[in-house]
Amino acid sequence: MNVYLPIAEMSAHVLLFLGMGAAVGFISGLFGVGGGFLITPLLIFMGVPATVAVGTSTAQIVASSVSGAVAQYQRNNVDVKLGLVLLTGGFFGTVIGVQLVKILRELGQFDVFIALCYVLFLGVIGTLMLIESVQTIRRTRAGGAGSGRKSGEHSWVHGLPFKMRFQRSKLYISAVPPLMIGAFVGFLAAIMGVGGGFVMVPAMIYLLRVPTNVVVGTSLFQTVFVAAAATILHAGTLNSVDAILALLLMVGGVVGAQFGAAAGSQLKGEELRFLLAALVLLVCLRIGWDLVVTPTELYSLADSAGGTP
Amino acid sequence: MTGRVSVLLLVSGFILLAQFEALRSCAEILVPAAHAGQSEPKQGRKPDRLPRRDRQTDVIVYPPAPTLAIPPSLTPTEPGAAPLPAPERIEADISTRTIAVTSAYAGAEILVFGTIENSRQPSAESGYYDVVVVVEGQPERVMVRRKSRIGGLWINTQSFVFSAAPSYYATASTRPIDDFTDKVLRDEIRIGFDAIGLVGSAERGRQKPMTAEEVMAYRSAVVRLKQDARLYQSSDYGVIFTGRSLFRAKIDLPANVPVGPLTTRVYLFQDGSLLSSYQSRVVLEREGIERWLYMFAFDHSYLYGLFTVLLAVLAGLAASAIFQRRTV
Repeated sequence: MNVYLPIAEMSAHVLLFLGMGAAVGFISGLFGVGGGFLITPLLIFMGVPATVAVGTSTAQIVASSVSGAVAQYQRNNVDVKLGLVLLTGGFFGTVIGVQLVKILRELGQFDVFIALCYVLFLGVIGTLMLIESVQTIRRTRAGGAGSGRKSGEHSWVHGLPFKMRFQRSKLYISAVPPLMIGAFVGFLAAIMGVGGGFVMVPAMIYLLRVPTNVVVGTSLFQTVFVAAAATILHAGTLNSVDAILALLLMVGGVVGAQFGAAAGSQLKGEELRFLLAALVLLVCLRIGWDLVVTPTELYSLADSAGGTP
Repeated sequence: MTGRVSVLLLVSGFILLAQFEALRSCAEILVPAAHAGQSEPKQGRKPDRLPRRDRQTDVIVYPPAPTLAIPPSLTPTEPGAAPLPAPERIEADISTRTIAVTSAYAGAEILVFGTIENSRQPSAESGYYDVVVVVEGQPERVMVRRKSRIGGLWINTQSFVFSAAPSYYATASTRPIDDFTDKVLRDEIRIGFDAIGLVGSAERGRQKPMTAEEVMAYRSAVVRLKQDARLYQSSDYGVIFTGRSLFRAKIDLPANVPVGPLTTRVYLFQDGSLLSSYQSRVVLEREGIERWLYMFAFDHSYLYGLFTVLLAVLAGLAASAIFQRRTV
């Protein structure tokens, strides 16, 4: 059965998008990531205009993270105060990001820009995760505790002003780094259609020293609201959210995520991080390849989606 | 156990990566497959109402064909002249006048059929006449971009704007159009890809002054890219005579044809000269939930965004509720 997507203005088989949602959902459930970093490139590869891919991906992220966020909240794994600070930054980042997308789309440079963003961020994050996980795996094999984190360790983050007490995280830190991290993640959500967990989680662990049990819950809490803001702003300013496409991805995604989560509980954290790093680097290389290799068609028709009501 | 799962995961990761390639071809396979099934009238679409055809005499207009010149000697009213055969006239109609674009829309196929009045053709196979059917969408602004290599990366650097290019353009003919028409005639009545009305724009943008060759390259890029998207089509043997005077042509409207009115023109040729022409319209309209969503998305865009978010929250919560009940 074919479905016509009103905003992407294309028609494709229902199973194509359901299957894609399920595959990405499985991986996101497995690693506990939003999966936006896979959804957006996959949609672009399938011929969905880049801005529609980003806008629709943000809607899918809301669906894939909301149930996790609720579950984490019920288990008291969310530092609401920290989440709100991150969120405040996130809203500003999202607004700026959507404006940047608008400008770049008019200039005709959004496609290249998004590809460069993906190569850059996935490359950096993937490499860092790979190094970290390999070191942890080695250390664990050599014997001793897996976690190399010492509590009470101080860094430059602790020297900043506007200190706030975050009781759930047992932290007394400046509000500036969470605001900045939130803004950066919101910006990424708006321009790349990602939840930003791949930036948020490491930043919380390594920069803010948030206890691991609160990290995922708080990150999800922030993701739901930032992705929701990004969806509304994308729809409002760029008309780039396709509700039917989003719905198909959601249905596939939430189902796939359940199986992914079940499979993920059987793996150790550092092994998961190693696999995720490998996946992130593969996606990065695949997108980078298209930027470098000589294209068969030098010409392209401008993305008219949203431009002709 | 852990080792087995991790192998499984790496494999699934690679499968997903492979999808980057496979999905593209998959989309190409799946979409035409669905098109093949489109020849039957679709469920949910309004059935073609028969009375429409009865009213066709009121609807059909005979525009003055540009180069249609019937020699006075051929007019049968002339007194005293030998009973000369009456001039041929073409009459045609379209199977569907309104095509509903619903959420199950996967493109459509329209049938353009007609008859030649006073046909002198001995049989359907004789090839005495040539017929060309043109279906053309609304003119729209098109921007073409060209990539060049900058610092090892392929980046859009130049662009050219056509202020008017048909959103859709399909021809069907009894044989290749170039075989029986000359360029002057093709340009005049706008048949064939070389004669598509592409109007260069005065818009400057970031474009340098361009040579005629560069503009031609942009022009052919539009035709090529639109052809790849199946928005520009030509079917050299698409018009079939089914009798001495009856002909028919199938025109494929892929799902990506922008909604709006489509003009249908039918031309009758004999020995390269235009004898008669006919014109009509088909309208593609968004309908049902499709129309509602589209209007919603553009007229109340922020509210539509909020609606999508609520949809996402509901989908997410519903899924976890269902799965928790199953696992607990």
